[in-house]
Amino acid sequence: MSRLLRIAAGVGALVGVLAILRIGSFLSYIAERHPEGVVRLAWRARGEHVRECRHRSAEELAKLPPHMRQEEVCEGRVLPYRLVVMLDGTERINREVRGAGAREDRPLYVTEDLAVAPGPHHVSVSFALEGAATAAAETDAHATPSRLTLDTTVTLAERRVLLVTYDEDRKTLISRY
Amino acid sequence: MSQSGRRSGLRRILAWIDGACNRLYGWRFNPFYHSGALVVMLFVVLLITGIYLLFFYRIGAPYTSIAALTDEPWLGRWIRGLHRYASDAAVVAAGFHLFRMFVQRRSWGPRTLAWVSGLLLLALVLVCGWTGYVMVWDVQAQELTQVGARLFDLLPIFGEPISRAFTGEHPLPGSFFFLNLFAHIALPIGLFILVWVHVSRLARPGLFPPKRLTWGIVGGLTALAVLWPVQMTPQADLFAIPGQVVYDWFYSFWLPWSRSLSPAALATATLIVAVVALMVPLLTRPARARRLPPSLVDERLCTGCEQCYLDCPYEAITMLDREDAAATGKSPRVARVDPALCVSCGICAGSCAPMGVGPEGRTGRAQLGTVRDFIAARQPVGRIVLVACERGGGGIADRSEFEGALVYPVSCGGNLHTSVVEYLLRAGAGGVLIVSCPPRDCWNREGPKWLEQRLYHEREAELRERVDRRRVRLVYASAGDRQVVQTAIRELENALAALETASPERDIDLDRLCEVPEPVAESTR
Repeated sequence: MSRLLRIAAGVGALVGVLAILRIGSFLSYIAERHPEGVVRLAWRARGEHVRECRHRSAEELAKLPPHMRQEEVCEGRVLPYRLVVMLDGTERINREVRGAGAREDRPLYVTEDLAVAPGPHHVSVSFALEGAATAAAETDAHATPSRLTLDTTVTLAERRVLLVTYDEDRKTLISRY
Repeated sequence: MSQSGRRSGLRRILAWIDGACNRLYGWRFNPFYHSGALVVMLFVVLLITGIYLLFFYRIGAPYTSIAALTDEPWLGRWIRGLHRYASDAAVVAAGFHLFRMFVQRRSWGPRTLAWVSGLLLLALVLVCGWTGYVMVWDVQAQELTQVGARLFDLLPIFGEPISRAFTGEHPLPGSFFFLNLFAHIALPIGLFILVWVHVSRLARPGLFPPKRLTWGIVGGLTALAVLWPVQMTPQADLFAIPGQVVYDWFYSFWLPWSRSLSPAALATATLIVAVVALMVPLLTRPARARRLPPSLVDERLCTGCEQCYLDCPYEAITMLDREDAAATGKSPRVARVDPALCVSCGICAGSCAPMGVGPEGRTGRAQLGTVRDFIAARQPVGRIVLVACERGGGGIADRSEFEGALVYPVSCGGNLHTSVVEYLLRAGAGGVLIVSCPPRDCWNREGPKWLEQRLYHEREAELRERVDRRRVRLVYASAGDRQVVQTAIRELENALAALETASPERDIDLDRLCEVPEPVAESTR
């Protein structure tokens, strides 16, 4: 290979590698093929915290090291809620939402994405305590109400998100784009 | 044929790439030989350009600040481009370095630390790139952030799900961009620490490529940044579902799968790949019976000259005080090999004039025995003998003859004791052509460098003065450079023929006839 040809081939190879670098740096993919909109449910609810206590028996206490012999043991948890979502009269979600964490004593988190066709839709959301609320919860100013609902008609554009979330100040579910 | 002489499909691919690049750029500037050093050089480029970009980045307005920088027609645009392309090139170089080490099986035994730290380096580079792309806060950043948050949510250590922050429920806090920026700046510190660990077992690590190659690559990347500048893609919008996402394949190659795979599946796949990669040292380790033994020192022969200690590329040899020096009258110092650090390259055997060190079967003394058998069996009188490295050496070491010349394989050019060359010539060989790997392609790092110095620059154990240098040549050829060997044989044949009819004036033209044969290799390309 002559020197000139070698230099030309060397420069050509370098240009080729740089071109691959540029192309690879700006590739694209289709993240979502369907031009659907999304109804996103995202909120955090404090829920109602209950504490269940019991007394240890003498045998149980005897098995424990002296410094751990606490007579009363309590475990707390957040009472579960039921989430029901209806879109245009069709039930899309109906599930129990339990407190986060291994002991279910953390707040309740809702994060759901529902794909829907663009256009007008009737959205109905219900987030209600399973069972009856305790008296303490009824008087707790910071507690999430035992029942939250949203009933609204929205027009969803292509690839847009309608967010349904909980407004802690107004203690109600709201929707916004 | 030895294990190292066997050539898998991957090794053929590597040999072809190396051969092609050697023809185009010459072995000195073959970028694939400098892939590891290129990564470090590109880190430095990223550091310099990154510091510049830092002055313009605003945590409160990430997208607009980068858009303003990109719109700046002079410095800002191309420095951002250089930063991006250099980061891509770093991943490519690191990937190729990994491929080379894997194919050449330089991943087990004493090299395990380098392999594992190299993998960690690559992982850290990818994570660093991740944070870098999130800084831009475009659609790719949104995808990366949301996937990252879902992956974080798999860890049972956070008080509340991280992904909640990116649902649009609340505006993204500035602290998120601050934390991300902090990670993007802090991670490179980890990179430099890992680079130090990566090369910690190497003597004289080559951290930077040759200047011409450095400037060539930086110039090429700069030209790319100027001629094909980086463009802004649409801004992230948590209330929009991205349709087409422009992404950097080198860092986010997995991103297109992230929507079809659940976070748990993505994390599991990543974990499997990581575990397999980390197990490569175990998977590629040959069976015990096929492993080359580490070097040993024959303390009776050791003169304490320190040459093996100086030449060892892995710092596996230390010099100790000899306990019985006074009583025996031997040297006060003696060499000692640490088998845990020795890769059995045998370079110490080539460095030892009294032939007192080396791996079993490849010490200087053992080599003399091997060459004696070779001479008895092959009768090299009047013929050229090719002393070829089994790892590369033009890919001819597994043959008995090549282009009419006899082939004498060695495990590494650096392992070759110069007495073998002398022995071959004294036995009547017409000439000895040593085919070594190019210096930056040596599987044992410094074999060709020390070999060349022993042959031509009187480094211990040097080729004796009495040896006729006109009959000895050294050529550098990778496994894919067979043509280089063919040309070198022809040239040596011509030189030997000229010797037969040489006039006294020509006969003493040592500068011409005894030149270090690098120009021979260059002239063939």
